[in-house]
Amino acid sequence: MTKESINAEVVVIGAGPGGYSAAFRAADLGKQVVLVERYASLGGVCLNVGCIPSKALLHAAKVIEDAKDMSKYGVTFGDPKIDIEKLLGWKQGIVDKLTGGLTALAKRRNVQVVHGEGNFVSPNELSVKSADGDIAITFEQAIIAAGSSPAQLPFIPDDPRVMDSTGALLLEDVNCKMLVLGGGIIGLEMATIYHSLGANIDVVEFMEQLIPGVDKDIIKVLHKHIEARYNNIMLGTRVTAVEAKKEGLLVTFEGENAPGKPVLYDRILVAVGRTPNGKSLDAEKAGIEVDEKGFIAVDNQQKTNVEHIYAIGDIVGQPMLAHKAMPEGRLAAEVISGKRHYFDAKCIPSVSYTDPELAWVGITETEAKDKGLDYGRGVFPWAASGRALGMARTEGMTKLIFDNADNKLIGAAIVGVNAGELIGEMALAIEMGCDAEDVALTVHPHPTLSETIMLSSEVFEGTITDLYLPKRKKR
Amino acid sequence: MEVIEILVKPGDTVQQEDSIVTLEGDKATMEVPTTVGGVVKEIKIKVGDLVAEGSVILTLEVEGEAKAPTNEASKEEAKPQKPSKANGRSTEASVEVAAPSGDVYASPGVRRLAHELGVDLRNVGGTGPKNRIIKQDVFAYVKKRLSGGGDGLQIGPARKVDFTKFGEVETVPLSKINKATAVNVHRSWVTIPHVTQFDEADTTDMEAFRQKNKKKATDSGYKLTPLVFIMKAVVGALKEVPRFNSSLDANGDNLIYKKYFHLGIAVDTPDGLVVPVVKDVDKKDIYELAKELGEISGKARDKKLTPADMAGSCFTISSLGGIGGTAFTPIVNAPDVGILGVSRSKVTPVYQGDKVVPRLMLPLSLSYDHRVIDGAAAARFIVDLSARLGDVKGLTK
Repeated sequence: MTKESINAEVVVIGAGPGGYSAAFRAADLGKQVVLVERYASLGGVCLNVGCIPSKALLHAAKVIEDAKDMSKYGVTFGDPKIDIEKLLGWKQGIVDKLTGGLTALAKRRNVQVVHGEGNFVSPNELSVKSADGDIAITFEQAIIAAGSSPAQLPFIPDDPRVMDSTGALLLEDVNCKMLVLGGGIIGLEMATIYHSLGANIDVVEFMEQLIPGVDKDIIKVLHKHIEARYNNIMLGTRVTAVEAKKEGLLVTFEGENAPGKPVLYDRILVAVGRTPNGKSLDAEKAGIEVDEKGFIAVDNQQKTNVEHIYAIGDIVGQPMLAHKAMPEGRLAAEVISGKRHYFDAKCIPSVSYTDPELAWVGITETEAKDKGLDYGRGVFPWAASGRALGMARTEGMTKLIFDNADNKLIGAAIVGVNAGELIGEMALAIEMGCDAEDVALTVHPHPTLSETIMLSSEVFEGTITDLYLPKRKKR
Repeated sequence: MEVIEILVKPGDTVQQEDSIVTLEGDKATMEVPTTVGGVVKEIKIKVGDLVAEGSVILTLEVEGEAKAPTNEASKEEAKPQKPSKANGRSTEASVEVAAPSGDVYASPGVRRLAHELGVDLRNVGGTGPKNRIIKQDVFAYVKKRLSGGGDGLQIGPARKVDFTKFGEVETVPLSKINKATAVNVHRSWVTIPHVTQFDEADTTDMEAFRQKNKKKATDSGYKLTPLVFIMKAVVGALKEVPRFNSSLDANGDNLIYKKYFHLGIAVDTPDGLVVPVVKDVDKKDIYELAKELGEISGKARDKKLTPADMAGSCFTISSLGGIGGTAFTPIVNAPDVGILGVSRSKVTPVYQGDKVVPRLMLPLSLSYDHRVIDGAAAARFIVDLSARLGDVKGLTK
């Protein structure tokens, strides 16, 4: 095998959303860029086995649920006929369209893509194990965008019936009794899909609430909704043993809501978080500090402790979100290209694409309380929203958190259908420094769910007319 | 701050408050102590590195801990922090070092612009709706800063001259002190309207007293110089004309009167001019002052002055009497509003009534900020000062 060698001004390791954003931005700013990706298709976890395919399946789940719900209001369909192969084909078509688009975008920008696993050899050299042999890439600057992997649990047997989020997207067995291990966003999104497709769902979560980190009043709405649909939700409980038997996976629980005896499942989805891939790069050969968890520390220009090496995305820390990785990637490329830019976002929104959706941004009420802030709430229940009534989805609520000192918006949380589409406005409002009045005086279209944001501000201001709240301060 | 000396090496055991590194900044060098004790594992910096608050200096193995956190240094100069961010990149030439924009009322685009231009948005007034900082505010601020706060002097760039065309030359870099002095005196020169007032004080009696008593000081290991008498006289004059003991506030709307009497003393060192400050001169007698002056001058020459040693002056004295000259026009050491230049005293024939007598006359040059002090006040100050210098009993009470 010949050892090929390539010189790069900038090498980007990993072609997920952060990595390709970094590579493309650097190329657009005049750099000669090499993009290293270990898998055949670009786009990383997000496009191939994460955000994008899961959203396609969640859409299918929503259609199924909506059709079922309509029977209560006079429109009855027959039971859905589900052609898994066709559904998977549609999902894969979306992935292929997007990843193929990335390949084309890379070509247009003259970004050279090298497929294979990259490891540092020295502070200025990377060795890539490709299908055609090792390729040595010398570089002036590097951007590490190597992402994260699903966290593993040591006591879980290696069995095809145990899945992580990647395996779950293959929909191998949807008419099953499934245990979702981990009540976080990924686990609950998968539960949403599998439930709609016919699975019987149990969820086990070690913490005292689902999606720890979200305010209790918000998560309560989702919890109530899925509790009525799933078989069992076990909070404050953990799995201590999993035994692979011929007839199923026998799971032993421990904790306050643990079943009295082990339970047999057809499938287990392990969704207990993600581990950064910092330890898989031989980073020490380049002198890069990687902590014991696998994170690489960076400053507010994405610089690692090594002058010319940058890192972005999941590998630099929480929150592990594509929409955090992308601006970080572009920022690293800009700093490399000599721009004096800094990561300076005031807030990064989070969304759980469950049914109903959750979305939050800025400070949570729990954090505000813990920090002892003098804050005020503006809460609008969707039961009073004409639009939510018309969608037969009135369980939602919109909650805004304001600083009492200057009425500035400092946080927002929304639960309800389409919450993820609504939260962007709140992120903009926080970035722009809007106060309650600014939001309340912005005319929102009627009837919409987005109105609930304006109405929540009016609740805080005491100017609301769509509700009667006698105890509120009057302006 | 530049690292000029590393005082420990891996394997050394250090106690809390032990000095671990010497840093040199504008006009001062300082030793930075560690905030925790332990065994030095790894030194993260080298001589010549630029460091700032937050820089990781070294890692310590702290007793009783299996794995030591990255650690290191003083309250001000280097905090323990995991990602080492210094790497010599901490200082950048710009209008000012851009701070994280934090909680300013400005949109993301404006915050990015501020970073690019090196503007700290906390200093920028907003003119947008509800006083939001908008892009125009940032541009206006930079324009103002670049023009020195006013409409600008419209001075062209200095001419480049190739001196080697004319003969042999040697290029020597300016010391940090030289550079800092240049910045400060230039700022004072262009922003303060200077006037200099001259006088001569009769120091015959003062000198007689000094000659008679100087042994008392020498025996204790310090020198009784004319400067300590001048310091006492200046404090008296500052009390008489309090406007000399004031400063303009930053926006020029208020005058701040000081109720303390700290005097800056210009000291010549091989590296350049430094101005240590002698605190509470009004509360010390000439012998105490002589002793302190000896110590502080020694510290200045040994480059041991800390920023605290050089902060807080009310009024500055620059004495060139030991070298010579008849008079000069010193530049006010802002935010002081006055500075006294002292030249070499000389025995001069002076009329006392009809008689000509030899008197030891000391030339004084008083520069002042004409925005704060008018000519009459300055004349009163220097006349009062001269009178006090002529009355040694008053100075040594």
